[in-house]
Amino acid sequence: MNKKNLKIDLDEIRESVERNRKERLEFVEKYAEWLRKKADKK
Amino acid sequence: MQFKVKGKIIYLDKKIDSLDFFVKEFVSVLDKLNIDYVIISGYIAILFGRSRNTEDVDFFINRLSLEKFTLVWRTLIQKYECLNTKDFNDAYDYLVNGSGLRFSREGEYIPNIELKFVKTSLDIFCLNNKLIIEVNQEYRINTSVLELQIAFKLYLGSDKDLEDARHLWIFFRKYLNMEEIIHFCNELKVKVEVIDRIVR
Repeated sequence: MNKKNLKIDLDEIRESVERNRKERLEFVEKYAEWLRKKADKK
Repeated sequence: MQFKVKGKIIYLDKKIDSLDFFVKEFVSVLDKLNIDYVIISGYIAILFGRSRNTEDVDFFINRLSLEKFTLVWRTLIQKYECLNTKDFNDAYDYLVNGSGLRFSREGEYIPNIELKFVKTSLDIFCLNNKLIIEVNQEYRINTSVLELQIAFKLYLGSDKDLEDARHLWIFFRKYLNMEEIIHFCNELKVKVEVIDRIVR
């Protein structure tokens, strides 16, 4: 591994992490909705 | 559980559980499609015994052409349900825009695979600096170098991430290159006190 090949752009990383957090929250919401609908059917 | 490290391969013997089997199946589909990938983040700590659950397993792949993605999409939806969208064009747009596509078994939401195209320099580095894990001499999965995964978890800094980092550090301490962890942490501007607390 040549770690010197890695040039980290922290702004790029922050943006990516922020997007992940947002999408993760959306996923949690969708999953909760999916579970609720499943429970309603029973 | 037993393991040994030889160069860039970790040989792991363990009793695989349903999550491991789910990952094994998905990897076999990617292998058949000749798609290069790495699995990163929480699942790797869990594979090596970290005692927690996860809803998703994170995969990075190279950006695919629309033509290649057509084949991948058609193959995946025969076996899995895409939780984001049923539309092929939407699915490709998700990936191109840096979002993850989630695939679960039909009718199940969890666990799911979160598949992403590499986007940042860090993602690309992960894919280009792979570590292979051979499980029970049966199948292999790709992950990225553990030094970077530990540093990135320190950067993320949630309790869950710090615990994952601590688990990997203690489990693999004998094999890890501290200088590389420090280098990645410095690049990511991780605070010294966080490094000291978790990987010393």
